Amino acid sequence: MNSFALLFLVLGLGLIGWLTGRARAGRLIRAAPKRSHSRPGQHAAYVAMWTALPALLFLTVWSAISPALVRDAVLETPAAASLPSFGFQRDSILGEARMLADNPEAGAFNEEARAIAPVYGAAERRYSWIGSAATILLAFAGFAFAYSRVTPTFRARTRVERTVMLVLLIASLIAILTTLSIFVSLLIESARFFAVVPITDFLFGTHWSPQVISSTDPGESLGAVPLFWGTFFIGAVIAMIVAIPFGLMSAIYLTQYAAPRVRRWMKPILEVLAGVPTVVYGYFAALTVAPAIRDFAVMLGFQYASSESALAAGLVMGVMIIPFVSSMADDSIAAVPTAMRDGSFAMGATRSETIRRVLIPASLPGVVAGMLLAVSRAIGETMIVVMAASGAATITLNPFESATTVTKQIVDLLTGEAEFDSPKTLAAFALGLTLFVITFLLNIVALRVVKKYREAYE
Amino acid sequence: MQKRIRRRYAAERRFKFMGLAAVVLSAGFLAFLLVTMLSNGLAGFSRTEVALPIDFPAAKLDVTAKQLQNRGADLALAGAGLDEVVDKAATAAFGEQGIDIISDRAWTEVREALKSDPTLLSRKARIDVPVSQDVQNALDGGGKPAMRAIVSGMQAKGLFSNKFDFGFLTSADSTDPTNVGIWGALKGSLFTMLVTLLIAFPIGVLSAVYLEEYAPRNRWTDLIEVSINNLAAVPSIIFGLLGLAVFLSFLNLPRSASLVGGLTLALMIMPVIVIASRNAIKAVPPSIRDAALGVGASKVQVIFHHVLPLALPGILTGTIIGMARALGETAPLLMIGMRAFIAQPPEGLTDPATVLPVQIFLWSDQVSRGFVERTSAAIIVLLVFLLAMNALAIYLRNRFETRW
Repeated sequence: MNSFALLFLVLGLGLIGWLTGRARAGRLIRAAPKRSHSRPGQHAAYVAMWTALPALLFLTVWSAISPALVRDAVLETPAAASLPSFGFQRDSILGEARMLADNPEAGAFNEEARAIAPVYGAAERRYSWIGSAATILLAFAGFAFAYSRVTPTFRARTRVERTVMLVLLIASLIAILTTLSIFVSLLIESARFFAVVPITDFLFGTHWSPQVISSTDPGESLGAVPLFWGTFFIGAVIAMIVAIPFGLMSAIYLTQYAAPRVRRWMKPILEVLAGVPTVVYGYFAALTVAPAIRDFAVMLGFQYASSESALAAGLVMGVMIIPFVSSMADDSIAAVPTAMRDGSFAMGATRSETIRRVLIPASLPGVVAGMLLAVSRAIGETMIVVMAASGAATITLNPFESATTVTKQIVDLLTGEAEFDSPKTLAAFALGLTLFVITFLLNIVALRVVKKYREAYE
Repeated sequence: MQKRIRRRYAAERRFKFMGLAAVVLSAGFLAFLLVTMLSNGLAGFSRTEVALPIDFPAAKLDVTAKQLQNRGADLALAGAGLDEVVDKAATAAFGEQGIDIISDRAWTEVREALKSDPTLLSRKARIDVPVSQDVQNALDGGGKPAMRAIVSGMQAKGLFSNKFDFGFLTSADSTDPTNVGIWGALKGSLFTMLVTLLIAFPIGVLSAVYLEEYAPRNRWTDLIEVSINNLAAVPSIIFGLLGLAVFLSFLNLPRSASLVGGLTLALMIMPVIVIASRNAIKAVPPSIRDAALGVGASKVQVIFHHVLPLALPGILTGTIIGMARALGETAPLLMIGMRAFIAQPPEGLTDPATVLPVQIFLWSDQVSRGFVERTSAAIIVLLVFLLAMNALAIYLRNRFETRW
């Protein structure tokens, strides 16, 4: 029986447990209404819980360990004695045997696989049978145990609620688990990378060409400084030159000048800019913006203007970031008390003087934090640079030349045909770790800025 | 004095104008983007067809009208050499270049026409078949000069017609831009979103309930909060690396499968759902909880009978916005191998699949002119889906949100 069918069977048994538990509890409570502690629904939940949870838990564990058990069982049979004793070859033969056992029509590279396939199939069936039987037994045992405990005085509610709370706690721990597993997996792969390539070569080397990695000195062609520069140049310079003035000025206009009706319409329209998928921006940048910028550069007299210029990617990225800057600025300007604004007006200042001298300084922490978050967003942005920026790692100040970024290189490194253990693929994880740490720090700093420097008005 | 005031007022006007310009330019950029996509993409939904005269009795197809109504009709027609018949008809009708004028899948159109009307077998007929990419290019004013000459001659005779291309919505990826469709990618997206929703929604809501209603304030819950807030700001590509390292190389789940894509995206949007749900739960006034506790409800009853139903519109709004973000996401899915060329729509969660944004990315890399229109058409489909989801979120918020 496959695990999906089993899953539904267990859930069905749980439902039956719920119904019978409820019926029994209802009957008993009606017979002795004074002495009852919990509601019938709570007894029912208790029975259903005992029926389904242990069985599901077992099913999860079993589906994780049973492939290994099947493998060991196959290896112990005489048919497997002729297999190569260790390593990749044996694994690939076993893999094919499993495929053949599931689907006898499939072709196989290794003749040995065809010989063990029936053995493999038999072992798989045996273990699947054991697993199904144990799951169902566990479900019935749980049901019997819980059903026998349903009495009017039994405190089902306390137990059910304690379980619910446990489930809630586990759900919220998954967030930590995700963060932790991101960090750990990046760290492990990066550690393997830095065992081959010295960390100083990676962080301070200025030559990046992962296509040819010399086996004697792999660090020589894996210096990431050009990538860091390209990321900084595109994400933190060009994109921000677009996003900060536009975002800030539109926030100011919409909060201070625009009629409420205009504001009600324009604010969601600007927010649509953030909702457009990045792949659409990337396509737009590559198809429309980049050629236009190259023509413009040629007109200005740059002979070798690239059609994958840093400017094209940066400009489009900047437009994408406008709503982030604008909504953060909007919030922090709105948080400045009206009394300060009115005071400034009363002194005879014009609106623009009030905004520049009073509102902006008062809301500066929020605005700065918004900018930091925008930078962190921009340097982590992938699709626009993958589609519009180039793969050539150069250090340049000329926006019409090509530049590459960390995210673009991660995608390029991992989408080749490379095996998982080469320095090339591992380099992607080292780049990922760097990116993770930098965006993490930017976020922490942004939150600190808001917390520390925000003036508490009122 | 007057001069100074004039100067200050001029500065005021300049400043106001700059603000207006920023808003107008930003909105203008959005409009420009949408107009570019629309003007490129609408052509992608249609295809040019050419009227191809076929003399079926003369072709002597070895099939009977009865066979055409059976289930084996496709096989019978392929066996009878229908593709050669169509090629010959094209050569007869359009000269030497005939085969290059009609698309490679022209004969499948003829097959469908025969199946829907078996009487065609006994007479001459003109059937509209799709044209090849070369002809399409020539019609758009590009392509080879020789082809352009032929095409303009045929155009003068009025042989071409423009039709809505249903194949684009029902078929999967292909190497020929006249044949491609988005159904495969759409189905992959659907499967992926299903996994994402099933994982992210319950876990996200439950952890929000824990953090808002149960969590004591201590170092552990602070840690949970910090990690949720940071996860929301982690670049999406990092989640792709996580999926690659954990789901593919550690847990050995199948590559390119929508299951893995869904799991990866679920981790990505979980923080969005948690944050939205927490805000929605926080907005339920304490008086509701106090009243329920006052009449003897237990904590769990208060939460599941009163707080969650009241917070549900807010939770759903946040979930839909998170799902919209997952639907448009590309980068993490590239990392876990969903960029393979897949000509078959996936049948299950573990089949190799691709999703709509990745399909757009794959097509955008193609050099053939025909893919530009197809890419923009796929973008329009994606944007329509996103727009619908966001509209639903706004509707839910406006319709069901209670102001306390």
